[in-house]
Amino acid sequence: MTRIALLFLALNALLQAQETPAKNPAANNPHLGNPQSIRSGMALYRTRCADCHGLDAGGYRGPDLTAVLAGGATDERLFNTIRKGVPGTEMPPMTGDPDDDILMIIAYLRKIGTVPPSDSPGGNMDNGARLFTAQCASCHRVAGKGGRIGPDLTRIGISRSRSALLREIRTPSEWIPPAFETVSLVTKDGQRIRGIKKNEDVFSIQVMDTRERIQGYLKSDLKELVYEKTSLMPAFPASRLNDSDLNDLIGYLGTLRGADLTGK
Amino acid sequence: MRAFLTIILCSVSVALAAQTGTPLITSQDLLDGLKDPTRWLTYGGDYNSQRHSPLTQVTPENVNQLTAQWTFQTGTTGSFQTTPLVVDGVLYVTGYNNNAWAVDARSGRQIWRYRREIPEDWKGCCGAVNRGFGVLGDRLFMTTIDAHLVALDMRTGGVLYDVEIIDYKAGYSATVAPLVVKDKVIVGVAGAEYGIRGFIDAYDAQTGKRAWRFYTVAKPGEPGGNTWPRGDAYLRGGGSIWVTGSYDPQQNLVFYGTGNPGPDYYSGAREGDNLYTASLVALNADTGELAWHYQFTPHDVHDWDSTQVPILADLTIGGQPRKVLMFANRNGFFYVLDRVTGKVIIAKPFVETTWAKEIGADGRPVILPGHLPDEDGEKTCPDLGGGTNFFSPAFNPATRLFYVTARETCATFYGYEQTFKQGQQYTGGATTRPRDQKNFGALRAIDPVTAQLKWEFRYTLGNTSSSGVLSTASGLVFAGDGEGNIMAFDGRTGKNLWHYQLGVPIRSTAGTTYMVDGRQYLLVPSGGALTAFALPQRP
Repeated sequence: MTRIALLFLALNALLQAQETPAKNPAANNPHLGNPQSIRSGMALYRTRCADCHGLDAGGYRGPDLTAVLAGGATDERLFNTIRKGVPGTEMPPMTGDPDDDILMIIAYLRKIGTVPPSDSPGGNMDNGARLFTAQCASCHRVAGKGGRIGPDLTRIGISRSRSALLREIRTPSEWIPPAFETVSLVTKDGQRIRGIKKNEDVFSIQVMDTRERIQGYLKSDLKELVYEKTSLMPAFPASRLNDSDLNDLIGYLGTLRGADLTGK
Repeated sequence: MRAFLTIILCSVSVALAAQTGTPLITSQDLLDGLKDPTRWLTYGGDYNSQRHSPLTQVTPENVNQLTAQWTFQTGTTGSFQTTPLVVDGVLYVTGYNNNAWAVDARSGRQIWRYRREIPEDWKGCCGAVNRGFGVLGDRLFMTTIDAHLVALDMRTGGVLYDVEIIDYKAGYSATVAPLVVKDKVIVGVAGAEYGIRGFIDAYDAQTGKRAWRFYTVAKPGEPGGNTWPRGDAYLRGGGSIWVTGSYDPQQNLVFYGTGNPGPDYYSGAREGDNLYTASLVALNADTGELAWHYQFTPHDVHDWDSTQVPILADLTIGGQPRKVLMFANRNGFFYVLDRVTGKVIIAKPFVETTWAKEIGADGRPVILPGHLPDEDGEKTCPDLGGGTNFFSPAFNPATRLFYVTARETCATFYGYEQTFKQGQQYTGGATTRPRDQKNFGALRAIDPVTAQLKWEFRYTLGNTSSSGVLSTASGLVFAGDGEGNIMAFDGRTGKNLWHYQLGVPIRSTAGTTYMVDGRQYLLVPSGGALTAFALPQRP
């Protein structure tokens, strides 16, 4: 009797195991086209997504979602991306949230996402790569090569919209990412240090200076500490980088979508 | 014959052990609070919740010599929000994920550990935290994240009883440190983000049998019930209890701040004042009957739980001796209430507040327009985290200063209709931080007689703190910032006198202090570690 019961349990477990993987909830999204769901999805989008992807989903720091949708992204892919996040970027996973919240966000995006992308990628990639090496690589790193004072750009092509890249090259001080804010210090013995703030508390500050030295300082040992409002990255107005070169550079940055770092 | 003698000898030795073993904590001990400074017996230090220790070995003059003595690592994930109890040289500590420990107060070495499994389908808004034990006799009382009340043997950590407060599957959890009054253990439930109806319960300390229940959400047809819409909205009305209250033995009243109404942000789901959410309720400790209530935020739509710690004191205000209850509220106002009548004596903002012009003569806030969350969003200060929150304030009756960790913050609040589903979050909205907003935290000293700011110590711009505050009779104040520092201040001036980087910010408490073997210890929980500090021992 016990043996039969065990066999039954084992069969049951096997059947349950065969039922996985679970179906993607977005395969049958009950919220698509439902006005109330779309309204809720809009509110959820504004609170959870708009800070990076823009209020109109046209991209800010994060990619232009209208372009992602116009590019043929399926609802299942959107669901997985929202649920799991994008490793190596600032896109976090929405782990604890109900499926319905994600499905309502998708319903909202489908409502607004039928507009084709306003700007097309492209340009002369070779020229873009040359410009990058000449103008950017001393501060920015790609696939383990280049400077360290600016953010690593190995995956910038999937983590920034074209419009965000354009803004951040033309006017880099408009938004400075955390851990890249500019500070100037003068120690009590007269040493002057300029760099980016990596961390700080009431009593200490941690800095990477312009020579890429990382170092902590006790505030009690400083004569002066200035929080600068401008980025260490120079602005590139049209007089310094014309529209055509900018287009080439952004085109090249769009190709930076990760690197094989497994050592193979 | 030999066996008989052995039995007699064993009986004698057990009887002797009972006389000299771990002392039994009586109701009188709880009433005495911190009079015996080797002990810390209740969440707020004493029934007044002043978190003010009579100890004076560590002073403003020598505090800069405080040195770490030991660290106890729990080895678990999640951060402490607990206030450890201290009895007879042993610490009793609750932690994350239904864990608890007895730890040697001299060395930081574990004596026993208790752990209760969390059901796999348990869900909660804010982590499986716990805020501490209650104690009576030789037993400890602890709520669990899946809404049970557990009584443990102080000497072994063995379970004496484990009773269900309510079914966690309906969105309930419990994180509050029990308040033990006479023979009763008073607890409450959390879960206002999951559409619960909150309540405060009292259980018989000996048997675990429920003695009374007070619902913090009034039912239509009962007193206060007309402040909810008709129908069943009250069943999802929130009103969590997740921070321990205070007790006035003279009036035999317990005082509890109550949580936000549910859903948090969507006003349309619950027209009316929504009693007794975002309120202070004064209940008879024996029966749970409501003596009076005061609602800080009628019809709250910003998730401003009033689950802060009420501090009781006797003050002279306008030449008159007054029995007061002081309350720095998440809504940004600091209140002094008459704890006999429940009437407002003083109410003034202690942080930037944009939602109310003032608290009117009738005790109601004078609401400013443009602060009802909708789908387009509205900016309000403070943010959902509030002007302060669950972290304990402190009060020094000698300097008559109220010390609180304040938060200067704003948020854009969105509100929208949401369909309720049992076991899923039910907030009816969300918030974002405005792009131009630079938050900061500060330790503030407030004169409760005038509600004026006496001094402040600002923490680093861009971050806030969730640390509580501890005051001592030598004139010291201890508090933590959002970056992991525990700090000591001169309580009269706010001058920083000492700090130590713990590695993880303190949450909920700034620590407790106790005396063992003639040494005063400062005990600080942060992250998954307890660190004890003391002055260097003289050879």
